[in-house]
Amino acid sequence: MDIREIVRTGAKDLVRHKLRTLLTMLGVIFGVAAVISMMSIGEGARRATMEQIRLLGTNNIRIKKIDRTAEQQENEATASEGLSWQDARAIDDRVPYAVAVSAIKFVDAGVFLGGKAPEGAKVVGVADCYDEMTNSPTSHGRFVAALDLRSAARICVLGSEIKRELFGIEEAVGKSIKIGEESFNVVGVMGQKNFKEGKTTAIKLRNINRDVYIPVTTALKRFTDDDFPEGIEEIAVQVDRAESVVPAAIAIRRILERGHYGVKDYEVLIPDELLAQSQRTQRIFNIVMGSIAALSLLVGGIGIMNIMLASVTERTKEIGIRRALGASERDIMGQFLNETMLISISGGLIGIVLGGGMALAINLFAKWDTVVSPVSVLVSFGISGTVGVVFGLYPARQAARKDPIVALRFE
Amino acid sequence: MLIDIQGVRRVYRMGENEVAALQGVDLQIDNAEFITIMGPSGSGKSTLMHLLGCLDRPTAGRYILDGTAVETLADLEMSRLRNRKVGFVFQSFNLIPQLTVMENVELPLVYAGASREERRSRAQEVLAAVGLSRREAHRPTELSGGECQRVAIARSLVNRPPLLLADEPTGNLDSKTGTEIMNIFKNLHQSGTTLVLVTHDPEVAKWSERVVSMRDGRVERDTGNPRRTAVPAAAPGAGFGQWREEAEEA
Repeated sequence: MDIREIVRTGAKDLVRHKLRTLLTMLGVIFGVAAVISMMSIGEGARRATMEQIRLLGTNNIRIKKIDRTAEQQENEATASEGLSWQDARAIDDRVPYAVAVSAIKFVDAGVFLGGKAPEGAKVVGVADCYDEMTNSPTSHGRFVAALDLRSAARICVLGSEIKRELFGIEEAVGKSIKIGEESFNVVGVMGQKNFKEGKTTAIKLRNINRDVYIPVTTALKRFTDDDFPEGIEEIAVQVDRAESVVPAAIAIRRILERGHYGVKDYEVLIPDELLAQSQRTQRIFNIVMGSIAALSLLVGGIGIMNIMLASVTERTKEIGIRRALGASERDIMGQFLNETMLISISGGLIGIVLGGGMALAINLFAKWDTVVSPVSVLVSFGISGTVGVVFGLYPARQAARKDPIVALRFE
Repeated sequence: MLIDIQGVRRVYRMGENEVAALQGVDLQIDNAEFITIMGPSGSGKSTLMHLLGCLDRPTAGRYILDGTAVETLADLEMSRLRNRKVGFVFQSFNLIPQLTVMENVELPLVYAGASREERRSRAQEVLAAVGLSRREAHRPTELSGGECQRVAIARSLVNRPPLLLADEPTGNLDSKTGTEIMNIFKNLHQSGTTLVLVTHDPEVAKWSERVVSMRDGRVERDTGNPRRTAVPAAAPGAGFGQWREEAEEA
C-alpha cells in the first residue's frame, strides 16, 4: 500500500467525521497558535532591541541622567547635582579611547515661525560631532560647527519633519525661526531618518525627525535652568573601535563616580550590555512562554491519543476485515499513524494561521512589536508533526497488534 | 497440490489451561476442488479455516500453500500470501460500511499495490460478473443481504486468488438467496477456482464434491477427491465469462 493511498484513505476518513476531527485538532491548533504568537512577541522585542542598538551605534556609549526622587535627594547629604557639562568635559579630556564626546541638553522651549508651532518639536543642544556619531547627515546646509559652540551662536539645524511643517517646500537655510523667545538662524536641515516607535526601551526613542539641534553651549547659556545651570540630560561618547567600548566605559564610570561623590544619578549604557540584558530578559520570556506552549501541545497530543485509542477500538472490525484482505501489521500501523499525523499537521497549519492572526491582533491592540519569523513557522510545523508521531505511535501499535481473528469476530 | 497440511496442531492458552482446538490434522487439497468442511461447533473447523486462510499459524505441524511453507512466515510475508492466494467470504459479509461497494471490492488490490486504474477496471469486471454493476457507488447498508454477499464474493475474487474460503456463506440468507449464492460458487468451481466451504448445514454440503467432517479437533471422515487422478489444474479465473453470463441473466 503506497503512501499516497494511505494519505487519501486517511483524509477521507477524517472528512467523514468532521466534528470529531476538528475537536481532536483543537489542542494542537491552540498549542501551535500559542507558539507562533509567543515567538512573534519575542522576535518583535529582539528586533526592537537591535534597532535601538543600531541607533545607539556599536562604538558609542551613552550616559543618561537619572531623575532622583525627592526622598533620595534628602537621604543623600552630599548630593551631586546631576549630569553636567563638566562631566562631558572631563570625559573628553581624560578618557583615552574617546574620539568624540557630545553633551546633550534638552531644551524645554517651543519652535515657532509666524503662526506655526509644530507639535512635538524637541530642541536639543548638541556638540559639533553629534551628526557623525549618530550617523545622521544633513540634507541641506551644514550641521552645528565648532565655531558655533565656541561662540554659543544662535543657529539651529531642523529635523526633516519640522522643516516641512515650518517651510513646506521652500528653502529653510538662511531663514530665521523662534525658539522660545529667541531668534535663531537656520543653517541646515537633517536628512529623513526611518523611525519606528519603540516599546520596551532602555533608551527612550524619540522621533529624531522632529528634533531641532542647537549648539549645546547656546542651550546652556540661553535656556539656563536656574537650579542647576550646568545640567545636561545625556552624554554621547564615541570610542575609536568596538574593543575600546568596555575599557572606555570603565574609565567613564570611574570619572563620574568621583565627580558625583558616589551618587548614582546617572547610568552608563553600552550596546553590548543592552544586548546582553535584552537577551537575558528574552531568555526568561522564552522559557516561560515555551513551557506554556509545550504544555498546551502536550495536552493537545494527549487529546489526539485519547481519540485515536477510542477510534481504534471502534474500528476493530474494520481492522480485522482489512487484515483478512491482506493488510499487514505495518499497513494497519501506517493507516492509523497517518491519520494522527494528518490531524496534527493540519491542526498545526490552522494553528500557524491562527497564531499569525493573534500576532497581528497583539500588534494592533497591545501595540507590541510582533514579527512572525519563518523559523517560528518551521518550528511549529515540526512540533506538530512530532506530536503526531509521538502520540500516534501507541494507538497505531494497538491497532496493528490486534489479533485478526479476534478483530473479525468483534461486533 | 494447492494445500498440504500435515500433523497440524493449534493450542490456545486460556490462562492456566491449554485448549487444543486442532490435535493433529492431515489434509491435502488439490487445485480446482470444491470441498466442504463440516462439524459441530467446537470441532475445530473455524480454527482450521483461519489456518488455511493464513490468519493464524499452527502451534505444530506443516502447512504448505501453493508451494509456500506458511508456518515459518513473518507477518509481512504472511499478509502478502493471504492477499494473493486467499479470498475470504464470511457469513456476516464483513464489508466496511463507510466505503462504497466499489471501494470495498478494490480493497484487496490496494494492499496488493495495484494502480488506481487497474483497481477500478478489475473491480468493475468482478462486480459485473456478480451482476452488481449498477450498485458500484452504493454503500453496503443500502444493499440487501444477497447483494452484500455478492459484493463480498466479488471482493474475494478481485485479486484472482487460487483459493476461496467461505465461512457459512449462506448462514445469514434466506434459502432462495442462499441458492443463488451457491450457484455462483458452483460456477466458480467449474471455472477452476479451489473452493473450501465451512458449514454445519448438510444441505450446503451437498453442493460440493468432497466433504471433510471434523470432531474434537480431528478429521473424522474425508470422502476424498472423486477426480483425484482426472482433472488437470485449470488456471484460476479461466472460464470466468461463462458463469458471468448466467449471473447476469439471474
